[in-house]
Amino acid sequence: MKTTDVLRRAGRSLRQAKARTLLTSLAIGVGAFTLTLSLAAGQGSRDYASELISSNVDPQALFIVKDETIFGEGGQIGASGLKEYDPDTITTDNGQSIKSLTPDDIVALGKRDDLVAVQPFYQVTARYIKIEGSDKKYSADVSVYNPGVTSESAAGKLPPLGDDIEDTDAVVPESFAETLGVSANDLVGKKLTITVAKSVAIPPQEELARILATEGPAGLERLNSGETKDVELKIVGVTRKSATTLSAATGAQVSSTQAQALNDYTTQGTDKYQKYAAATAKAADGKSPEEVKAALATAGYPSKTAKDLQGLLFAIVNILQGIVIGFGILALIASVFGIINTQYISVLERTQQIGLMKALGMRRSDVARLFRYEAALIGLLGGILGAGTAVLVGTLLNPMITEQLGLGDGNYILVFQPIPVIGLIIALMVISVLAGYFPARKAARLDPIEALRTE
Amino acid sequence: MIEVKNLKKVYGKKANTFTALDDVSLVVEDGASIAIVGKSGSGKSTLMHLMSGLDHPDSGEVLIDGRCIFSFKPKQMDRFRAEQMSFIFQSFFIQPNESCYDNVSLPLEIAAVPAKERKTKVEKALASVELIDKINSRARDLSGGQKQRLAIARAIVNEPRILFADEPTGNLDSVTGGVVEDLLFGYCKKAGATLIIVTHDMDIASKCDSRVYIKDGKVAIPAKKKRQMTKRTAPVAPRRRTVS
Repeated sequence: MKTTDVLRRAGRSLRQAKARTLLTSLAIGVGAFTLTLSLAAGQGSRDYASELISSNVDPQALFIVKDETIFGEGGQIGASGLKEYDPDTITTDNGQSIKSLTPDDIVALGKRDDLVAVQPFYQVTARYIKIEGSDKKYSADVSVYNPGVTSESAAGKLPPLGDDIEDTDAVVPESFAETLGVSANDLVGKKLTITVAKSVAIPPQEELARILATEGPAGLERLNSGETKDVELKIVGVTRKSATTLSAATGAQVSSTQAQALNDYTTQGTDKYQKYAAATAKAADGKSPEEVKAALATAGYPSKTAKDLQGLLFAIVNILQGIVIGFGILALIASVFGIINTQYISVLERTQQIGLMKALGMRRSDVARLFRYEAALIGLLGGILGAGTAVLVGTLLNPMITEQLGLGDGNYILVFQPIPVIGLIIALMVISVLAGYFPARKAARLDPIEALRTE
Repeated sequence: MIEVKNLKKVYGKKANTFTALDDVSLVVEDGASIAIVGKSGSGKSTLMHLMSGLDHPDSGEVLIDGRCIFSFKPKQMDRFRAEQMSFIFQSFFIQPNESCYDNVSLPLEIAAVPAKERKTKVEKALASVELIDKINSRARDLSGGQKQRLAIARAIVNEPRILFADEPTGNLDSVTGGVVEDLLFGYCKKAGATLIIVTHDMDIASKCDSRVYIKDGKVAIPAKKKRQMTKRTAPVAPRRRTVS
C-alpha cells in the first residue's frame, strides 16, 4: 500500500472520531505548550542576558582575584577548618577569610603588557551622603565609576567609554532625583557630600578608663563614632535607569582615585587596609581575553572574562529552563498513556475494518503503519495546537511581561524560534508513534478470521 | 484450477479438540462456480478460510495453478489475495463512515494500483452494480441491498480471478438477494472468474455449476455437475430461502 494512501486513510479515521482525536491531541498539546514556552523563555532569557552583557561589559574586560574560591571554584568560600595564617587574607563581613590582592599584586598586574586599566575593586562604605538642596542625610552605596561599562545618561554628561570621571566629580543614578523629588537635570552641577568614617580601633583598657574619667560617656561616644571625613564632589551626570544597564548603579559613583582615597581612609588600621578582594582590568588590544585569562592563571591570578560572566548567567537560565522543561515532559508522559489508550480503543472499535483489510491482502506492516500514522497525526495535531497556542499567548503577553519586569522596550522574554518549535513538533510525532507502537502491533497481529466472525 | 487435497483442520488442544475439517478434497475448474453447502458449524466457513489462505490447515494442501498457497510467505500470500482474490460477506463489512468511492477504492489501494487508474476502475465497478449515482454518498446511507451491491463492487473492482462469497444473500430479502446473485454470476461469467459460494441456501447453490455438501467436517456428497443435479430432487439440505 502506498504511503500517501495509508496517510489518507489514517487522517480519515481520525476525522471520523473527531472528539476523541481532539481530546487526545490536547493532552499532548499541554506538553507542547509548556515546552514551547520554556524553550521560548530560555531563548529570551539568554538573549536578554547576552544583550545585557554585550551592551554593558567590554568584551575585553577581566575580573581578577587572588582567591578563586570567590568564584565558587576550587573549594568553598572561606572553607572552615585550620588554615595557615596569611597576612594577605581579609575577612569579609560574613566572617569568611579570602586571600586578597595587595598593592604589590596590583603593581605586578599593571606591569603586565597583556593588561591595561588595572584597577583594584575599592569598597567604599559611606556613613551617609548629602546632596546640595536637601538638609537630610541619606545612606547610599558608593561605588567606583566603571569606565568599561556604558551607562546611559539621563542628564549631564558622562565621559566616553573607557575614560574615568574627574576625581572631584560624581555620578548618581536617576533614582536619587526621584527620591529627592527633583528632575535629573536639577541634580547636575549640584554638590554631593560623602561622609566616611575611619574604622574604630579599640583603645587599650587604661585608655578607655582615662577617657571615661575625663570626658564621661560623651567621650566614649566620640570614640565610638570615630573620626569622620567629608568629601565634596560635583555631580556631573545622572545615569538613566535601564533594563539593560548592568551597572545600573543604585548608589553614587566616584572616580577610582577618589574611591581609593575613601577606601584607604575607612580601612586604615584594619586588616582590609590596602587589600582588595578583586581587580578589574582589560585585555590589551589584540589579545584575546581567554589567552590573558590563561596567562593570569599561571601567574597565580584566577580571573573571569566577560564570556565567563555570560556563561554564569546562562547556567542559571539553563537550570530554570530545565525545571520548566521537566514539567512539560511530565505532561507529555501523561499524554503518552492517553495515546496508547485511545489507539487501543480505536483498534478494538475497528476490528472488523482491520480484519477486512487484512482479508483483502493488506500487509501486516501496512496495518501497523496505518495506526502509526494515526498516532503521528495525533502528535502533529497536538504539537501544532500546543505550540501554536503558546506562540499566540506568548506574543500577546510579551509586552505585558516586559512592562511588568521592567526589561526595557524591545526586550522580550519569550523568543519563539521556528527551528526549535518545528523540532519539538517532530519530536512529539516521534513520541506519539512510539506510544502507538503496541496498539499498532495489536492491529497488525489481528486474526482476520476472528475479526470477521459474525456469529 | 483450484485443487483441495485432504484438508484437515483441528481446533483446540489435547482433550478438547474439535475436528472442523476432516480429509476434504475437491477440485474447482477455472471460471466455474461452486457452492459449498452445509449447515452452520459444518466446517464450510473453515474450508473457505483455508482455500483463501486466511487460515492454515493441520494437514493437506490447497493448490492454485499447481502451487500450494500454504508454501507462500505471508507477503506473497497477501499480494496474491490482493491481486487475485476477493471476498463478499453476509454482513457486507463495508465501511459505513466512508463514501462509496472510498469503500470500493480500498482493494485497489491495498494492491497499490496507481491513483490515476483507480478512478476509472472504481467508476466501472460502481456502474456495474448500478450505484454510480451514489459514488459520493456515505455507505451508511445505503439500504441493505445497496450495501451488498457496494460490497460486490468492492469485490470485483480489482478484477479478481477467484471470488469467495460467504452467505452473500443471507441478510437480504429474496428480491434484493436475487439481484445480488445475478450480479455475482454475471461478473464471474463475463470475467471468467472462479466463484466459490459458501451457503446453506439451496436456491443460490442450485445456480452454481457444482455443489459440495459438507457435514461435520466431511464431504457428504461430492461435487456433481449441474445438469445431473437438476434431474434429482433436493438432496441433504432442504430447499428454502432465508429471509432476513
